[in-house]
Parts: sequence; structure tokens; C-alpha cells
Amino acid sequence: MSAAGPVDTSAAGAGPGRDAEPGRNPVLAAIRSRRVVRAMTGEPLARATLEAILDAVRWAPTAGNRHLQRFVASDDPGTLRALRMVSPGMLQRPAAVVAVCVDRDLATDYGFAPDARSLSVDVGTATATLLLAAHALGVGSGPVTSFSRVAAAAVLDVPSGWTVELVVCLGHPAPVEPGRLGRGRVTWRDLTVWAPRDAG
Amino acid sequence: MPRTEPRWVLDEDDAIEVLAYLVTAARTQVDEAAEYGPLRLLTAARRLAGLLAPRASEPTATFVRDHVEPMPELAVPRQGRDEYVARLDGLCAELGSLLAQRYVPGRSS
Repeated sequence: MSAAGPVDTSAAGAGPGRDAEPGRNPVLAAIRSRRVVRAMTGEPLARATLEAILDAVRWAPTAGNRHLQRFVASDDPGTLRALRMVSPGMLQRPAAVVAVCVDRDLATDYGFAPDARSLSVDVGTATATLLLAAHALGVGSGPVTSFSRVAAAAVLDVPSGWTVELVVCLGHPAPVEPGRLGRGRVTWRDLTVWAPRDAG
Repeated sequence: MPRTEPRWVLDEDDAIEVLAYLVTAARTQVDEAAEYGPLRLLTAARRLAGLLAPRASEPTATFVRDHVEPMPELAVPRQGRDEYVARLDGLCAELGSLLAQRYVPGRSS
């Protein structure tokens, strides 16, 4: 890591620049406006859109640039119906799903233990990238972690050696989201401490 | 005894959907936060209610529409235990009334 402060991504010609105002910075604006979508319409998702999202996920950071994550995508109605049946956390009826998987055989080849934490971290970075890419294309998304791993693997015909770690639902947001009891919005200050403590 | 004629309210696909949900929820609950237990059960109830309501008797359909569907789908006890328990108790009371009307002679709405 550089000790000289934030990287000037604009210097590379591809970044959004240093403007920290979300209203003028499209990346910050996208991060702040993305929501988990738990109610979706039945409108299909164009295959080209789904492929654009998958292409974006390929750019997610991975530990050691090893790319141990794999993806199973589906927009087949029968597959989606069966997957929802074995996924208690899937409240939405998605137009497509992307299952984020880990290639366990490849991880073993690299010398990772089965419970190596970095494998899960990379699932997280891939998922975050996927959610933002969907949002950038006007597609609603919602991650699901409550599902039967073995049943989902059977439904999705997951290749041998891969494990399903998380499923992202994709679709067009419905007007009304499922109800919840009230919960206040947290700020970054609620979630952060400085080290040393008096440095903030 | 039910005071309406017996009727089929689920087909095989409907029943399989609920069966699959319950079986897989049992498995996911082993690893999930305990507070998700009632949430998962209520989701199962909501799915069953949604499947049976279109073909159910009027009192049952009314119970689904007026009491099951309005329950917050994503609520968990930690976000407000007293309100959560009160809403569940209210739902249970309405369910009891429905059952009494349906099965107890002399009871009406």
C-alpha cells in the first residue's frame, strides 16, 4: 500500500476522480443508491444485460488474483422456480440468478484449507461487484444466503468440485418491498472507531 | 367438524413448494441466527396461505387477506421484541377465532 494517500484513479484515465460529493461522483452515487431488492416483477431480463453483469464481476478483486470464484447463471423459469423452493431466504421471484461458487478443487491445489477465510472474502468482493454492476444497469439485485447448499447444487447442476456459497437474485424491482419493523439508518460513525481512539 | 364442504385448496406443485421450503429451512436454521426461526416459519405460513387462499372458503381467505398478508415479512424479534410479540399474538388470536368458527358448534364471527 502507498503511504502517500488515496490513489488518484483519474490519472489512469478510467477512474471517477477525487470528488467526494456523491452528487458529482457516479461511483459514490451508485454505492449510496443501491438497495437490496426483495420484490421483483415477472419481467424477463435481457440475456445481454445478464452477460454484462457477469463480465463486470470478472473484474472483482480476488486474493492473489487467483480467481477461485466461479459462477452459475440461470434465467430458466423452471430452474428458478425449483431454486426458490429450496431457498428459504429467497423472498423475491427473480428473473435470473447468479450463484457465486468456489472452485474447491482449485483452492486445494493452491494449498487452501477448506475453511480458509480468504475464500469467503472473495465471495464477498465478487458479490459486492455483482450488486453494483446490476444497479449500474438498472437491474435490481438481492443476495440470498439461506438455502440448502446440496439442494441448490442439484437444481443448478453445479460442476463437480464447486460449492455454492451465495445466490444473487436479479430482476426488475417491484413497486412495493416486503414489510419490516422499523429500524434506524446507521452512519459510518456508528460503525467505525479510530486507532488510536483520539485520532478522530 | 368443518362447517363447509371439503375442498381441495392445493395441487401437487403447491404442496411440493411448501414441503421443499420446510425441509430446506430446517437445514438452513442449523446455521442461521436463532432469531430467524420465527421469520422462516412465518414465511412458510405466508407461502401456504398465498397458495391456498384463491381456492379456500371465504372465512379462510379473509383471514389470509386481513391477518396473514399484513404481517411484516422481514421482521425479526430483535428490532422490537414487544411489538413483534404483540403482532404475533394478534395473529394467533385471529387464527383461534377462525378455527373456533370453523370447528366449534355454535360459534360465529
